[in-house]
Amino acid sequence: MARRYDSRTTIFSPEGRLYQIEYAMEAISHAGTVLGVLAKDGVVLAAEKKVTGKLLDMSGAKEGGYGGSGEKIFLLNSNVISGVAGLTADANSLVNYARQAAQGHLFNYNEDIPVELLVQRLCDLKQGYTQYGGLRPFGVSILYAGYDPHYQFQLYHSDPSGNYSGWKATCIGANNGTAQSLLKQEYKDDIGIDEAVGLVLRTMSKTMDSTTLGSEKLEFATLTLDAEKRPKAKIYKPAEIDALLVKHDLAKKDEDTEMRAA
Amino acid sequence: MDISFALTGKGYVIVAADTTAARSIVKMKSDEDKIKVLSPHLLMAFSGEPGDTVNFAEYVERNLRLYHIRHTYALRPASAASWIRRSLAESLRSRSPYAVNLLLGGYDTATHTPELYWVDYMGTLTSVPFGAHGYGSYFALSLLDRYHDPEANLEEGLATLRRCIDEVSKRLVVSPGKYKVKVVDKDGVREIEL
Amino acid sequence: MNSFADRFATTGTAAELRRIKEYVADDEDVSDSMWGSEAGFGTMAHGAPDFMVPSVPDPAAFLRLHTDDHADPSCRIKIKHGTTTLAFRYKGGVIVAVDSRATAGSYVASGTVKKVIEINPYLLGTMAGGAADCQYWETYLGMQCRLHELRNHERISVAAASKYLSNLVYSYKGMGLSMGTMICGWDKTGPAIFYVDSDGTRLKGDLFSVGSGSTFAYGVLDQGYHWDLTDEEAQELGRRSIYAAGHRDAFSGNTINLYHVKEQGWQFIGNYDVSEMHYNGPTGTQGYGYSVRVEGRSSANPPV
Repeated sequence: MARRYDSRTTIFSPEGRLYQIEYAMEAISHAGTVLGVLAKDGVVLAAEKKVTGKLLDMSGAKEGGYGGSGEKIFLLNSNVISGVAGLTADANSLVNYARQAAQGHLFNYNEDIPVELLVQRLCDLKQGYTQYGGLRPFGVSILYAGYDPHYQFQLYHSDPSGNYSGWKATCIGANNGTAQSLLKQEYKDDIGIDEAVGLVLRTMSKTMDSTTLGSEKLEFATLTLDAEKRPKAKIYKPAEIDALLVKHDLAKKDEDTEMRAA
Repeated sequence: MDISFALTGKGYVIVAADTTAARSIVKMKSDEDKIKVLSPHLLMAFSGEPGDTVNFAEYVERNLRLYHIRHTYALRPASAASWIRRSLAESLRSRSPYAVNLLLGGYDTATHTPELYWVDYMGTLTSVPFGAHGYGSYFALSLLDRYHDPEANLEEGLATLRRCIDEVSKRLVVSPGKYKVKVVDKDGVREIEL
Repeated sequence: MNSFADRFATTGTAAELRRIKEYVADDEDVSDSMWGSEAGFGTMAHGAPDFMVPSVPDPAAFLRLHTDDHADPSCRIKIKHGTTTLAFRYKGGVIVAVDSRATAGSYVASGTVKKVIEINPYLLGTMAGGAADCQYWETYLGMQCRLHELRNHERISVAAASKYLSNLVYSYKGMGLSMGTMICGWDKTGPAIFYVDSDGTRLKGDLFSVGSGSTFAYGVLDQGYHWDLTDEEAQELGRRSIYAAGHRDAFSGNTINLYHVKEQGWQFIGNYDVSEMHYNGPTGTQGYGYSVRVEGRSSANPPV
């Protein structure tokens, strides 16, 4: 009998709101910032890592794999990368689902999944959890940077309710309001990938709680086209991030020479 | 016996199929359309087991239409061909397989290339510059090896098709009378009177 | 376990099955029942009634073994086969003409079979192939057409009725159904004929003939047919074509049933004895038979 009541987690409040969804959104607004900018010849993603510390073993992120530390930025398919904000465990489950969906599309259609279609597949899943009883919604917002021949480079955002939207530049997670107003001021329509990288790094450095930027607090990725016009996703390794910060004059000024040397 | 031909040229694909519907020795109909327009830039000529042909073609037509409605753009020819092949291959391993042979002619608006795919009822999918199904293929394939030009303009392409049809009329014992011819290019699909 | 949670579980048989499905099919497996409603389409969601089949590995092969009188003339069940039926469209409507002989093997089982099935006042179906198959499914089609009227406050079109039948027989493909039928009628688009057979073929056309005698009927029909026939000419053409088949085809004959479909619905014109037609014709003045027609005429050309 008890199931008749507790199996309905997401029901409307008398004011017509779905509190569980709002709570999920609230959880995300405290999560590490994820920022995305769409340029005419690529897309840039950056994410702030929350789980840090001297004792954390990050040796796996330094070499091997396809880049990143596996906390916030993921390769979903050869033409789509994502940055997640919210519950990391929920995000892992969604990333796994997205990768399966992309492979399923490849199996049936022999092409990379169109970006919006992949976003829709994830949103259908997320929406399901706002409606069917007994389950809490996913506590994750995602930015998707992708390329397909239909709409070229694209940047999307999806939230726990299952809504999604396309953006030129946007930000999720902590301080997203500040970041978005900064982006609004600085974004230009014909921005190139190099300018976008600079814009992302500058905005991140202004928004993040910590005073200095470094690879232990930052994940970074770009999506561009290679010489054969195929999408090329690059998720930066820690050393590459530090090098990039030096180039943009945003690196730590003092100590930690070991990182800079790498 | 159904006969169908298709060939590519500079920026277009021509698809042709005979228009007879026969049952045993009797022609039941002589103006049957055996080329479906699957999307704004995709044509499919179908032949094979009576009943299966139309049923499968309509199944494909509606699924591709659904995809178009859901995602606002149609599948590209290569992806549509891949999906159709998969459908046939799955059907082949079911209790009642579709026995349908196809020629898929499409124009990829993203890459500006005409594409032609030859598909048989076993689920073989291959990209070809020209193709044929039925008894017509025994005459037309060698002819097309000799005369096909990938850079031919539409008039020249149609002349080559004409050669195929004439050859079949001349040599095949039970040759069909009329053909329906459709072309797909950057402007979409249209029917052509030979 | 909650069925939705089950869908996303990563262990267990349901998950295994789902994983396979996800790889193989791209379609969402959200069924109507998941939403707890079939939106009032409960009865439409299910197809035609299904039948008991012999409990052998391949029921269709089993049936074929006992019914195929071509392969085995001594088979135990001989399905009634031979027939001539025809229908054509012209400016005055549709003419439907059929013979009335039923043969089982070489045995004439009946000479008074009704091969035109009156589906409703605006639709006729013809019968060739298995008599029971045609009779049963065309009667069933009649029920569905009536339900269509009740649901939609409108008569079903000939195109829709014939499509319903062709989808239905297609679902039984390979299981031994034998039908070759013409669905004839008058709807908003005017007179219409669709040929539907048990292969699942469905053809729209102006003129069809089906059955073992169809080639003989075509011979007369094609030569005499044009769109602007008068009603009398059209009826005469239908009658004469069936006579031709009844005369030449051993499996067709006895009598001719003639129908005329007009805007107000179909009308039964009459039943004509083939022998009577041979010697005297419909008016009793001029027989259709060759020897009767050329009575007293000779090709001999002796020098004068």
